[in-house]
Amino acid sequence: METEVQSESEASLIEDLKRRDSTAYQKAVREYSPGMLAVARFYLDHSSAEEIVQDCWVTVIDAVQKFEGRSGLKTWLHRIVANRCKNRLRTANREVATDFSETLEPELANRFNSTGRWDLPPKLQFHESADTLMENGALSDCLDKHLSALPETQRSALMLYEAHQHKSDDVCNILDVSASNLRVLLHRARQKIFLMVETFQETGEC
Amino acid sequence: MLMCRDLAEIASDYIDGELNGRQNLSVKMHLMMCKDCRTFIGNLRASSNLLSAHSSGKADEEFLRRIDERVAEALSVRKNKGSDSE
Repeated sequence: METEVQSESEASLIEDLKRRDSTAYQKAVREYSPGMLAVARFYLDHSSAEEIVQDCWVTVIDAVQKFEGRSGLKTWLHRIVANRCKNRLRTANREVATDFSETLEPELANRFNSTGRWDLPPKLQFHESADTLMENGALSDCLDKHLSALPETQRSALMLYEAHQHKSDDVCNILDVSASNLRVLLHRARQKIFLMVETFQETGEC
Repeated sequence: MLMCRDLAEIASDYIDGELNGRQNLSVKMHLMMCKDCRTFIGNLRASSNLLSAHSSGKADEEFLRRIDERVAEALSVRKNKGSDSE
């Protein structure tokens, strides 16, 4: 059931898109393309993903006329991208391969002894406040670097869930993964970021 | 009994409130006794908050301009079609 409530500004943007207002398109392209690209990168390589996102915006010009607002604009756009990518994969007869068997990152798994207790426990406590952490420009750059090094499947799941604040159900629907596999993707990605921040705080190096 | 490694495996589910009542209780009991796991959970939560706060909107400006061009072209084709049929 789609129960996303549209904000007033979103409703007005949708009306402007329906009127084919070019300024509204520029605004929407800037607001929604990063998330659309994150969805596309789950399925496709970088250049194909960019191509799909461009094509989707052209499709949106006509499709938005029939948009009834049963979901939020962001979710609707992300679904269009996901469907296009799935079609492209079907045509190319390619499948997205993901290993969901391990829930722990090897680097973290090695820090427990045979009894399941910590051998190498986390030493430092991170600052809870994300704003405090983000004040460190070098850390922010390091985060960018590590995000781009994540496997696409993990990065897309993480981006949609954490950065674009989609609900789990939506992410599962858009990326076509089961709820349990989404949990694995998110957990693996978060562990990598945890390990990155830990190294950064301990050594100052990325 | 839940060991530290078991807790690490389900830590994200705990943070996101995805565990059932029994699992949640055993994590809470473990955390009461284990400082290392409290630090781990706190740090994993901080990593998650960091990602939420980190701007996801950094798309390549060149890429966005290419979309603008495609959209502008498509809009103009539709406008011309509209004026032709008037």
